[in-house]
Amino acid sequence: EFCSSLAGIMLLEVFLVLGTLLIYFLFSKKKEETLPFKDGWWGKGQKPVTKEDTSIRPFKVETTEEELSDLFRRLDQARFTEPLENSCFHYGTNSVYLRKVVSYWKNQFNWKKQVEILNKYPQFKTKIQGIDIHFVHVKPPRLPEGQSAKPLLMVHGWPGSFYEFYKIIPLLTDPASHGLGDEHIFEVICPSIPGYGFSEAPHKKDFNSVSAASVFYELMLRLGFNEFYTQGGDWGWLICTNLAQIAPNHVKGLHLNMVSISKVGLTHLLSVLLGRYFPGLFGFQDEDVRRMFPFLKKGLYRILSESGYAHIQATKPDTVGCGLNDSPVGLAAYILEKFSSWTDMEFQNLEDGGLERKFSLDDLLTNIMIYWVSGCIVSSMRFYKENLQKGIGTQKHEKLTVQVPTGIASFPNEILHIPQAWAKKKYTNLVSFHFMPQGGHFAAFEEPELLAKDILQFVGKVEKEQLWKKK
Amino acid sequence: QTISCFPRSFDTSQRNAVLVPAAALGVGGMLVYWFRSGHRIKTLDMGDGWWGSGDRTTFIEIEDKSIHPFKIETSDEEIEDLHRRLDHFRFTPPLERAAFNYGFNSNYLQKVVAYWRNQFDWRKQVEVLNKYPHFHTTIEGIDIHFIHVKPSNVPHGQTVLPLLMVHGWPGSFYEFYKIIPLLTEPARHGLNEGDVVFEVICPSIPGYGFSEAPHRKGFDSIATARIFHKLMSRLGFREFYVQGGDWGSRVTTNMAQMLPQTVKGLHLNLVFLGKQGLGRMIRIMLGAYVPWLVGLSREDARRLYPFMQKNMYDILRESGYLHIQATKPDTAGCGLNDSPVGLAAYILEKFSTWTDKSFLDKDDGGLESKYSLDELLTNVMIYWVTSSIVSSMRYYKENFSKDPDLSAHHRVRVSVPTGIAAFPQELVHTPRVWANDVYRNIISYSYMPSGGHFAAFEEPKLLAQDIMQFVQKVEQL
Repeated sequence: EFCSSLAGIMLLEVFLVLGTLLIYFLFSKKKEETLPFKDGWWGKGQKPVTKEDTSIRPFKVETTEEELSDLFRRLDQARFTEPLENSCFHYGTNSVYLRKVVSYWKNQFNWKKQVEILNKYPQFKTKIQGIDIHFVHVKPPRLPEGQSAKPLLMVHGWPGSFYEFYKIIPLLTDPASHGLGDEHIFEVICPSIPGYGFSEAPHKKDFNSVSAASVFYELMLRLGFNEFYTQGGDWGWLICTNLAQIAPNHVKGLHLNMVSISKVGLTHLLSVLLGRYFPGLFGFQDEDVRRMFPFLKKGLYRILSESGYAHIQATKPDTVGCGLNDSPVGLAAYILEKFSSWTDMEFQNLEDGGLERKFSLDDLLTNIMIYWVSGCIVSSMRFYKENLQKGIGTQKHEKLTVQVPTGIASFPNEILHIPQAWAKKKYTNLVSFHFMPQGGHFAAFEEPELLAKDILQFVGKVEKEQLWKKK
Repeated sequence: QTISCFPRSFDTSQRNAVLVPAAALGVGGMLVYWFRSGHRIKTLDMGDGWWGSGDRTTFIEIEDKSIHPFKIETSDEEIEDLHRRLDHFRFTPPLERAAFNYGFNSNYLQKVVAYWRNQFDWRKQVEVLNKYPHFHTTIEGIDIHFIHVKPSNVPHGQTVLPLLMVHGWPGSFYEFYKIIPLLTEPARHGLNEGDVVFEVICPSIPGYGFSEAPHRKGFDSIATARIFHKLMSRLGFREFYVQGGDWGSRVTTNMAQMLPQTVKGLHLNLVFLGKQGLGRMIRIMLGAYVPWLVGLSREDARRLYPFMQKNMYDILRESGYLHIQATKPDTAGCGLNDSPVGLAAYILEKFSTWTDKSFLDKDDGGLESKYSLDELLTNVMIYWVTSSIVSSMRYYKENFSKDPDLSAHHRVRVSVPTGIAAFPQELVHTPRVWANDVYRNIISYSYMPSGGHFAAFEEPKLLAQDIMQFVQKVEQL
């Protein structure tokens, strides 16, 4: 009798274990489900009964004398506040340096010439879900016999724009002319996120990254692409990730120059506390340790000192954007501060914020002008509220993994370093992860060649795997 | 419903998830605080400072200590420049049905701008500002502005008590204009609180309004407290009362910690407390179920709970400005010093939400239900004509840069008689039992019936009555 009860207990234990495994298996399977496509209508007022116009219209950026003279008037009457002695860029954008930028802006910057540069790539607009979506579409100038161009969707972030990709586009559409192998040639599509630049801003609440991904998915289908690659950093990272979660059968590969994680668990906490001493235990490489530690300085304090803008934009975008849409100098100060710190945190110790070491004033001001002439700063900030207001780690897409082949280019001066060990938990099909030798947050703008090379090698790997699978 | 059950107090997924990153950051901070919060020290070290520009060539001893009267002035040029900027304001339409939930609603902002452009009379407001005597005096290398109002006729035998009142952000000395007559001439305004009559001194914090901004880094509330002590001493006062809310609360507290023998009484309408330690967290959790056990009253419980909602979620939603100003003030303030409309939106958003949180759901932010546009815009104009928005924001960085728990003033107890007026719509409610950790001599603690953060501006009579009853008590000690 004793034996049978013991056997009974053992059987019960076996069932419990099996049952737990089954439940775990079922639950973990759940994480692989796709993210539903988010339909919506973002136009003004009520959605009309008539069918939406789906035509694709060519678009050119234009400017007027009035626009320029209004800008100059505001630059002339700008009111500056003297910085504190020896404050460099520690209190934000240094107004002594800002005066120099404004002087260049008034006297040397040629907006008409920059508009011509913007127009060198073909641009279009098309209405999707009630709003006009702007995008650049560049096809390769020549294609070798038998080769087809691979469609590549590249998504910008904040405070960037489609203009960030202007230097990298030729390296991807015409790699041979730039000393890169021509095994893979792309046709590049760079849309503007709704509410940014020349894309119409949503008129209704709740337009978040999943909405943007759904809109861009519709865009790619409308352009006739059934399969395509996606690339992004900053908000582009999240939108492209969402797109891979919505339509994994259409996204051939996902390339990212920035990654963030929203689900922080015990392992993350432990790796932060002990990872410096036992890197191997947590899957950290030497370079990971170098970039992440000391954690208080490079992680916690950096987040606190650099995320004020995200905090206020995620809560009161209309308030903080109001003055910036009225003062071009204020707008420039706000945006330039990011191009300084996010390119290299050490630039805060420089009186000029190190801006002209990596970018030209022409390029920086052209990006700012896109925000200014389109009046989009407020709507660009609302995107933070729509994505962050419910808190970090609460949304469905944050709980789902990505199975699409993924490549990550990890730049050393990115604001926060996410090691491969952490990224792999979300991007389960991580095909390539490389530590880039230099560069910061605005990778395409600052290091187009490095980024292009990484994209090319990633696509190379994916294509080879596909060929192997087909065989 | 006086007690809200703790587990029900937050919508689990939403609120909880906001707290995950916040809590993760807080855990480390809490541990640091717990291990490093040392023993209490007696008084705050006064120290010394000099905030002028360039090299310090003059010794403080030979600083010009004279007090110069002055009048606020304006010019056609100033008004025309303002009008031009108002005329060219570039507006972004709000989202449908957003009210004030995305910040200041730009549809309502257009109405404010139209009033500002066409009806607001700055010259008239300048005359209103000049009805009280203004002065300037140089202390520690910078010009300190203050108003000094004495009662006009003092009956024989009545003592006049000096009262220093300190404003905060985004306020100014102007916030006290309605309460001053109630304190200098109470009888005339139907307040017969015994024989208590005041002469009121309202300085502008350096970097705010007509006080010169410091040219060097490090100008915090302790430096402010020291400068205001020097001011009162220069005015010939050996003993005086102090009153404050917002930054004023911290400055006046520092003053009481520095030279307790000169501060007869400290009255606050907002209490700042340091980061909450483990003990406090436990008391908070228990308080939801058994408030009496942890010294909380029913009214405390009503105002504190649901805790997560009211204290964490609401604070996170309202503290974006604090976060950016404490890290990048020069960036945040740059556009606001150049766009008066941007400045007004930024400042008036606070006068809406901090007066009553329910105003977030109103299309007009409920502003004109408690204030007139004239008085709101006068306060904004003080920031505009003095170009002080950036320096006012730097105060946040200077005060928060140092780890708040390790700075001396959190470890110094306040032994000076203290009175607290707790307004219901204040951003955070501090129960008496918690305030007692720092303020050891609370002789008056009042739950005010109505009012929010800008107490003197919104409910001058209520605040005046509470100040008077507090001072009465102190005088009788």
